[in-house]
Amino acid sequence: MEEGARAEELQVQRCRARLDRLAAASAGDDAEWEDIRLKRILVDYMLRMSYYDTATKLAETSGIQDLVDIDVFLDAKRVIDSLRNKEIAPALAWCAENKSRLKKSKSKLEFLLRLQEFVELVKAKNFLQAISYARKYLAPWGSTHMKELQRVTATLVFRSSTNCAQYKVLFEQNQWDSLVDQFKQEFYKLYGMTLEPLLNIYLQAGLTALKTPFCFEGNCPKEDPLSLDGFRKLAEPLPFSKQHHSKLVCHITKELMDTENPPLVLPNGYVYSTKALDEMAKKNGGKIICPRTGEECNYTELVKAYIS
Amino acid sequence: TLKDEFDHVVKKQKLASSRTIDLVNQIEKEIEQAIGAIQENGTDRDAASNLNHEILTNLKNTLKELVPVKQLESCQKEMNTALGKWVKTTEKFFINDISKAYKNVDMEPHVLNEIIANHLYREALFDIGDNFLGEASCLASIKLKQLFQEMYEIFGALRTEKSEPALSWAMKNHDALLQNDSCLELKLHQLQFVEILKQGKRDEALQYARTYLAPFATIHKDVIQKLIASILWAGRLDQSPYTEFLVPTNWEKLAEEFAQQFCNLKGQSSTGPMGMTVAAGAEVLPILLKLMTVLTAKREWHSMKEFPFPLDLRRDFQFHSVFICPVLREQGSDDNPPMLLPCGHVLSKQSTVKLSKSSSRSFKCPYCPFEALASECKRLYI
Repeated sequence: MEEGARAEELQVQRCRARLDRLAAASAGDDAEWEDIRLKRILVDYMLRMSYYDTATKLAETSGIQDLVDIDVFLDAKRVIDSLRNKEIAPALAWCAENKSRLKKSKSKLEFLLRLQEFVELVKAKNFLQAISYARKYLAPWGSTHMKELQRVTATLVFRSSTNCAQYKVLFEQNQWDSLVDQFKQEFYKLYGMTLEPLLNIYLQAGLTALKTPFCFEGNCPKEDPLSLDGFRKLAEPLPFSKQHHSKLVCHITKELMDTENPPLVLPNGYVYSTKALDEMAKKNGGKIICPRTGEECNYTELVKAYIS
Repeated sequence: TLKDEFDHVVKKQKLASSRTIDLVNQIEKEIEQAIGAIQENGTDRDAASNLNHEILTNLKNTLKELVPVKQLESCQKEMNTALGKWVKTTEKFFINDISKAYKNVDMEPHVLNEIIANHLYREALFDIGDNFLGEASCLASIKLKQLFQEMYEIFGALRTEKSEPALSWAMKNHDALLQNDSCLELKLHQLQFVEILKQGKRDEALQYARTYLAPFATIHKDVIQKLIASILWAGRLDQSPYTEFLVPTNWEKLAEEFAQQFCNLKGQSSTGPMGMTVAAGAEVLPILLKLMTVLTAKREWHSMKEFPFPLDLRRDFQFHSVFICPVLREQGSDDNPPMLLPCGHVLSKQSTVKLSKSSSRSFKCPYCPFEALASECKRLYI
């Protein structure tokens, strides 16, 4: 009972830490808050890819243990490892633990696990055992999943080394892998997590927003993530983002030219920000030299441009 | 509010668990009392058994009065209702499933892992990065790792107020820093110079100035002049007109400046690309999620080459200039460049051609009453 109380306390502490964090989120760009968010997303990714060691280390060094669910994933790890070892028992135990929830979401995980156990018995040529197993455990699922049940029970007739494609598939080793995937999906659904890692979701959204045709030209500034190969590759299947309003970036200062820092036009047609040209004039006694063409002119010859 | 509801749930939970423990303790006590009483009665069978029977009946009655099961049930029920309400509130408050905004396309794991490893190195988490490489069994650029290790060594030194490593790096990259208009090297030399002055070593200071400050004389004339003049007050700078040199250095800021210049020279962005992309994603996700409810079939997004709605990002994320003609809503290009009208407004070339209908007639600017000829418009280079 004390253990139960302790477990509840832990969950309360976690919830509170997350609420506090959300309350602390400021509207603007708070670099530290965003940094912790990034670390949280990375830990989530690592846990899903089973890099438990790195995930724990990262969580510890950043002090975000309350914001990530490492022990929940470690629970799942036990089941996944056992499935990879071709043991059904822990997975079935997990199903029993979460029976009501799984039933609500109409999950057929337990059914698939039982099917696999049946096929294993057939593989080992324990036909009688297989049949009694089927009678005990597979029959209750017959009403909802009859077709699949029939397909799998037909394996009784075939040898495990059969070449008949339909049934060969059922004897394959990678059935276990698909079981692992199925388990993972149920697991994520149960805990209200997204099926894909948070990292992928955020990266996709960000890449789409940042992707413009200009990124692929030669002189893409290094500040743009899409100047890097890795990011370009990831962004390939994603659509470009559409611009509805002009956004001008000064060639000299790399800053945005807006109403506070309006664009100025040189006689040769090249455009730079007021800030940049003011400074240049100050340093050169009123003379302006276009950085891209080398042409010279006077500060007084500059014209203001109004771009909406 | 959300927090209040949560506190409510926590209160109920604490109440429930403490009541449970209290009740169980009470029951335990009663039972122990009864056992004690039975033991006292000794082993005399007949008399004992009657007394025992009485004791047991008493116990039963007391326990019945406590109604433990009912009490526990009601506590538990209260807590569960509070919990259920809490879940509903969170569901209303937060968006439940952000994966709705996800396009189901494969992100190649090894590309992604490489990016993550590079990011870990960039954030100076070298051990974790190595660990990650081991678990993910992927490769990362060793060059990048060494680059950032070098950077963080100097960075760390600066933060602990040791400027020597930074100074030697700056001197090595003297030309490149000058090209970038950075006065980092000068600042570092200045620090050393002031230290020498504080110790009153006039000649040494002069020597230092001759060797190291001289190259900056033309570019930063006024600062150098002040520094040289302050030699006269070596050892008693606080009495000089140049007390500004005694202001304690903002080492954090200096370290940041160094990091920026370092990244700049080595062709790296000053903020990590992964951090930037995730931050951009976080900004855009709410819009995407809203849109997902509008787009009738998810397939639409899959096959699009261009996202149909503007995804506006804040200033830090603008890397490329783009001109959109306000009249035709088209992007500027070499064939259709932006043109400056004499009134100062800017339209695309096609717009000016369309508005003027023939090149000899003047047309009115869409934004102001000014009239202009198509030939008076100047082509702009953004």
